[in-house]
Amino acid sequence: MRRWGYRHVITPTVENIDVLELGIGAEQRRRLFKFADARGEVIALVGERTVPVARLVAGKLRGSPLPLRLCYAGPVLSTDDGRLQQRRETYQVGAELVGAPGTVADAEVIALAARCLQASGVQRYQVDVGHAEFFHGIMDAVKLPDEVKAAVRIALAARDFVALESLLEGTPLRSAEHELLLRFPALRGGTEILQAAGGLVRNRRSERALAELAEVQELLVTHGLGDVVSLDLGAIRDFDYYTGITFEGFGPDVGRPVAQGGRYDGLLARFGRPAPATGFVVQLDLVWEMLTRASRPPALPRIDAAVAWSGPGLRTALRLGSTLRLFGMRAVVDTQARSQVEAKAWWQAVGAVNLVHCRSESIVSWSSRGHRTRRLPPEQVAGRLAGGLA
Amino acid sequence: MTPVTKVSIALPTGALMPGALRLLARAGLARLSADELGRQLLVDRTGVRVILVRPADVPAYVDHGAADLGIVGKDILWETPGAHYELVDLRFGGCRLVLAVPMASKLDGPETWPPQLRVATKYPRTANAWFEARGQAVEVVQLRGSVELAPQVGLVDAIVDLTATGRTLKENRLRIAATLGESSARLIANQASLKTRTAAVQAAVGRLREAVGR
Repeated sequence: MRRWGYRHVITPTVENIDVLELGIGAEQRRRLFKFADARGEVIALVGERTVPVARLVAGKLRGSPLPLRLCYAGPVLSTDDGRLQQRRETYQVGAELVGAPGTVADAEVIALAARCLQASGVQRYQVDVGHAEFFHGIMDAVKLPDEVKAAVRIALAARDFVALESLLEGTPLRSAEHELLLRFPALRGGTEILQAAGGLVRNRRSERALAELAEVQELLVTHGLGDVVSLDLGAIRDFDYYTGITFEGFGPDVGRPVAQGGRYDGLLARFGRPAPATGFVVQLDLVWEMLTRASRPPALPRIDAAVAWSGPGLRTALRLGSTLRLFGMRAVVDTQARSQVEAKAWWQAVGAVNLVHCRSESIVSWSSRGHRTRRLPPEQVAGRLAGGLA
Repeated sequence: MTPVTKVSIALPTGALMPGALRLLARAGLARLSADELGRQLLVDRTGVRVILVRPADVPAYVDHGAADLGIVGKDILWETPGAHYELVDLRFGGCRLVLAVPMASKLDGPETWPPQLRVATKYPRTANAWFEARGQAVEVVQLRGSVELAPQVGLVDAIVDLTATGRTLKENRLRIAATLGESSARLIANQASLKTRTAAVQAAVGRLREAVGR
């Protein structure tokens, strides 16, 4: 994310509940861990970091000109209904682009999220892009009494299409918008879906949303992500929070989105610095789950050299370790004296590529996987190892 | 993990199983006998994998993506809301979740309820939510079975339980005071399956929907 010019910020783990409340819904509030501090004020452990970042932008960073590109990483905590055994503490990495309206900013954030998934090593991932305004437009256009509309929103939020169907069945007027709502989970595909939906909707808000989606799709193709991006008009997200383009990232064999995000132009105003904003989070535990399930789980970063010593070799070992690190290698220097045989066992345990055993100032034995042991001066070993790396 | 091309469906053991198997056959997805599935618990057929799990576990299998689709009673979904999509009312296994009281009890509509009601049920979450919405203080006693017995031995004032025909209630000298909801078998889907394997999963959903008669 640094390569995209996003600056790392650290936000507090505990926040005053009144502050968080400005940005989150009742359901999210319910899930927070809450407790009282010594003065009796109710504080909460952060359940997500977009709200703290928004507060930072409107507070400490008030003087910084927009747009701001910020990223963060850290644990978030929430009490989840225990049955599904979801973890209480999860690790999220995220980014927010504050102060930039428009589809170019939307596409940047989606592309960054996709590149993050790629960089994490997830093999097959896909990104589904939707738009909150498409749904709002439909809800404006459908002719339903307000109380039925409220029930429709609840049913959709619960992804209960059986309830939705019976709600809509009870109404006399059936329009294209009715059909769209009922077909919500199936409104997914490539650009053809925009045409199909464009032929059905007859309201400004939805039409604008479709136009923006077409722009973002085109920009993402230019970002080199044409293969992984799909359009999902039926994405069910927190419609009170998101105001524009939304997206979700999926990986293989995990039943939940690993990344999600979108535009939330309303949030910053609640902290007194109105600004358009878009961002995303990646759920690191789900990424980890995917990586460990893959056919080739990721290896730990390899250690280049294990430096062992005995007797007067300690000084040589410490100096050699420093030199190797100067050349950018990962070098572990042993903490106790070992014989050559013991050192070999230790080398295996450390899992390093090379073993250098130092017994004197002038000559060391260098073993490398697949080569026989050579006796050389320490400078030559350092030079050869560094040369091999370059 | 399920191979990418297959659609996996979780079926519940118990009362809904025969209906679910008939539906799978009518939809042309898999022809299975209850005996075969009961013995093997996991059966692979062309394009589909059928797994048999306890009714209350179906949402867990689907929510975690171990099954793309699941057939489960609405009563279970009330108790275990999750991130799945509830797609189709499969129109079988119909029953009602009711508040039942002893024949001789004075309890009936909300106006007759005491300040604090004691209720036994296998559906604590649903019962709590229903009473809470009506402003009624309630002490819910969670039981695993034979809920009808609880009022007769003085454990509770009333029960919240499923009934299809009302026969069990009658046999236990209970009558229905109120209906909390109507249940039937539902088709649920994993949220990611709908997105990552759209074509195969939507095709199976379409065939099941048609088999229901719509």
